[in-house]
Amino acid sequence: MSWLSRLLRGRTLDRELDRELRAHLALMTDDLIRSGIPPEEARRQAAIALGGVEQVKEASRDARGTRIVEDWWQDTQYAVRSLRRAPGFSLAAILTLALGIGANTAVWSVMDAVMFRSLPVERSEELYALRQRAPSSDDPSYLFSYPGMGRFRGVLPDSGPIAGMGSIVRMYVAAAGQAEPMEAQLVSGNWFQMLGVGAARGRLLNPGDDDAGSPPVAVLSHAYWDRQFGRDAAIVGSVIRLNGFPLAVAGVAEPGFDGLTVGQQVDLWIPLRLQHEVRYSGGAWSRDANTDEPWLPQDGIAWLTLVTRTPAESFQRTETRLAAQYRAELLERNSDTSDAAGRARRLRAQLVLEPLAKGFSPLRQAFADPLQALMAGVGLVLLIACANLAGLLIARGAARSQEASVRAALGARAGRLFRQSLTESLTLALIGGVASLLVAWWGGHALVRAASAGPRPIPLALALDARVLGFAALLSVVTGLLLGLAPAWRAARAVPFGSFQAGGRIAARSLHRLPLGRVLVVSQIALSLVLLAAAGLFVRTLRNFLAVDTGYAAEQVLEARIDARGAGYAMEALPGLYQRLLDAVGAVPGVSSVSLSMHGLGVGAQRISEFTVPGVDRPPDFKRQGQENFITPGYFATVGMVLLRGREFTATDRLGGPKVTVVSEAFAKHFFGTLDVIGKRFGYDQPQFEIVGVVRDVRVNAIKQTPPRMLFRPLSQEPSEYVQSVEARVDGPVEDVTRMIRFAIASVDPNLPVREVVPVAELLGRGLSRERLLARLAGVFGVMALLLAAIGLYGVVAYSVTQRTNELGIRLALGARPRAVWLMVLRDSLAMVLAGLALGILLWLPLQGLVRSMVFGLSTRDPLTLAAAALVLGLVGAAAASFPARRAARVDPAQALRAQ
Amino acid sequence: MSPDPLVKPDLLQGTLDMLVLRTVADEALHGYAIAQRIRLVSGDRLAIPQGSLYPSLRRLENQALIKGEWGTAPSGREARVYHLTAKGRRRLDAELRDWHELTTAIGLVLGDA
Repeated sequence: MSWLSRLLRGRTLDRELDRELRAHLALMTDDLIRSGIPPEEARRQAAIALGGVEQVKEASRDARGTRIVEDWWQDTQYAVRSLRRAPGFSLAAILTLALGIGANTAVWSVMDAVMFRSLPVERSEELYALRQRAPSSDDPSYLFSYPGMGRFRGVLPDSGPIAGMGSIVRMYVAAAGQAEPMEAQLVSGNWFQMLGVGAARGRLLNPGDDDAGSPPVAVLSHAYWDRQFGRDAAIVGSVIRLNGFPLAVAGVAEPGFDGLTVGQQVDLWIPLRLQHEVRYSGGAWSRDANTDEPWLPQDGIAWLTLVTRTPAESFQRTETRLAAQYRAELLERNSDTSDAAGRARRLRAQLVLEPLAKGFSPLRQAFADPLQALMAGVGLVLLIACANLAGLLIARGAARSQEASVRAALGARAGRLFRQSLTESLTLALIGGVASLLVAWWGGHALVRAASAGPRPIPLALALDARVLGFAALLSVVTGLLLGLAPAWRAARAVPFGSFQAGGRIAARSLHRLPLGRVLVVSQIALSLVLLAAAGLFVRTLRNFLAVDTGYAAEQVLEARIDARGAGYAMEALPGLYQRLLDAVGAVPGVSSVSLSMHGLGVGAQRISEFTVPGVDRPPDFKRQGQENFITPGYFATVGMVLLRGREFTATDRLGGPKVTVVSEAFAKHFFGTLDVIGKRFGYDQPQFEIVGVVRDVRVNAIKQTPPRMLFRPLSQEPSEYVQSVEARVDGPVEDVTRMIRFAIASVDPNLPVREVVPVAELLGRGLSRERLLARLAGVFGVMALLLAAIGLYGVVAYSVTQRTNELGIRLALGARPRAVWLMVLRDSLAMVLAGLALGILLWLPLQGLVRSMVFGLSTRDPLTLAAAALVLGLVGAAAASFPARRAARVDPAQALRAQ
Repeated sequence: MSPDPLVKPDLLQGTLDMLVLRTVADEALHGYAIAQRIRLVSGDRLAIPQGSLYPSLRRLENQALIKGEWGTAPSGREARVYHLTAKGRRRLDAELRDWHELTTAIGLVLGDA
């Protein structure tokens, strides 16, 4: 009989054994009667010879080898019964654990999705991205040209599995007369095949779609098909208009696949060769190229991220071949030896294959540190909760010491008592663990929403899958052990009969100072200090960022983000559109001034170019980049930038006139070493531009980014640039005007996509989503820790006051003043708090490194923050201890002694 | 009066198991009969503590060395009767061989000629 069936048939086996033993007795009794012993006496002797039937049964059960499980089951039933006897305590404990474990699981599920999970493609560990390592300042790290992709394919056998893709960009699908925004990505025809992604409907792209003559097609993601088309199968084969260009829908990709970038969902894929037709202008880097012409044939435009698949055994060969090809091209591009230093620097670049199993992830870079800090934070909260509950369990155990003594006296071994007490904690933790899944599910999504900048949450696939459930289960067990070991250890030391003596007071007295309980309180306070200090740092970091001077006054400025390129405007039609936009938005009541710019404030879009100043020798590593923007007259006044020198643009700065520019302080100082630059000239390669003004440094991209070297040029002198932003300065509340501005833009052209109309302050705020998230969550954790520590302290002090009622009564009877008793208890509590604070500071020293990269404008050892955290803890601790202290002072001596 | 039993309640588990195996090797017996047989054959020197007998039977049955079936004792009472399995037979042979080697070796060392 197998172990399992013995376990499952335990009851039947018990009955069998019973029957067998009865048979044994009967046989023996028969024998004895036959030998002449009277029946009554025979039965007695037989029973004695067999020994206690129950003992035999026990020993036989042991022999079944299923004892551990049966005991465990018994212990669990016992644990459940005893938890039900104290429903208040149990519920509070389970809730605490559910919150603690759930919060940890929530952070883990996000961390797993962002940092550890592999792409949902075939053998993702074979995927690599081509990357230029240690690139010189003027080379992009991932981007290659289309002809470059062909040359790389050429050096791999069978024209190599190299696939290319553009960046994920917003495009507009015309549906029912309205332009619906969606995320599109251009990919090479072999992209899906190389990844091994399958089709849910129709077909995916194949290499034939790269041929110039093939019909233009698109592939939808399953999520987009579901969201936008309600899984309508008839969509396959129908024609949609993407940025105005008609495409046939070829098929739908398999569910769960949304591209190679974690946290960015692609809705639709189209072949690379349609770049020009759909007006794609995503991330690119160009040299000696015309970006208005089709990009495909131009070697000077690097815009493709290249991905290859190579199994481990051929990895070395693949990398060597690609790197050699890259090297050859690098040498050819830098054949000009006149600038020896610059050439040597550029030649240091090399090509490497970067593992892509987990996908690209800007999220991973931005949130790896905060997630780790959050994980540590919730971990600490759980630890505090464990210490807290362990203290409560010990106190409860002490109150039940009589019960334990009875059990010990009846023969329960120490091991069994230990196991039973531990089972109780484990049962608590496991129930809490199951309940925690709700918290984890809700918390994970709340966390993603809180971390998302902008109106749409980051599309992260959070699943309660085996990895997350496993984590929750493991954490529950560890939690159960953590919180149960100390109480179990106590329970195992129960002395038989100990509690009976002196009405149970001996055992109680030996516990009255609860040294273990005090240690637990001290550690709770220490851990709370760590969390409070972190919370203080994050809150002050956020405040420091918000106090940063951006260089412009954004409070009353609305930004309308438009996409004229996506709407299909020809360059010739742009000046007319711009004028109508300025007129229409300017006419909205409440708008005091209006302007246009190519790149809006706080959205991060930027154009970087290289500039030279004639007649100046530069060291080889001199950074020649500056950030360009094109604006209309009135821009500086509208967004509140401050002109330090010269003038702003006017209507007289016309196409064909002298090319003028306004630069920022940083630009002037970097290129000229002075702010007195009015009238000076510079340009891309020759001095085309004359400086007519200087503005204060401005953080146009993000609050966190140091002010770039800006130069502004009038849109009128570069009329073919596509404007992406309309700025309006508003009097009074901005909310009312927002809608009006939308209407005004729609009145100019209802098909012009308006991504959003938002206050610039809100756009800037999105750049601080990470800081806001940290400050908020660390604050929540800090308060939770504070409350738990206070409850823990209160519990231990209150318990010790109860146990010392006698002693306190005697003291008071002998003349101690209530105030002295009060002080004595309080002093005792404050000693614990101080010990906790000291330990907390010691803990903080090694832990501060975890948050260093996320703190701005102050040190992680900022004395003010640490002191404030310690002060708050001290005050809360004193408050928590003062209740039981007051009760101690009010003990009635007569009553205390009579209760003896 | 029979001599004092040599076997105390702490009789080595392995030894007891071997005795039980050997006893049911010749014919199928129920628990009480096994105890009686051992006592008889050993000339009252080995008294199986009956409290240990049933755990031993369970152990052996769990290892599939013996098999118990309900039947009737000669007296007509129902009883669980155990017989040796093929596996039990092999085990018994091995145990006996080991036992003889061991006792021979010990005998040589002690020089009891």
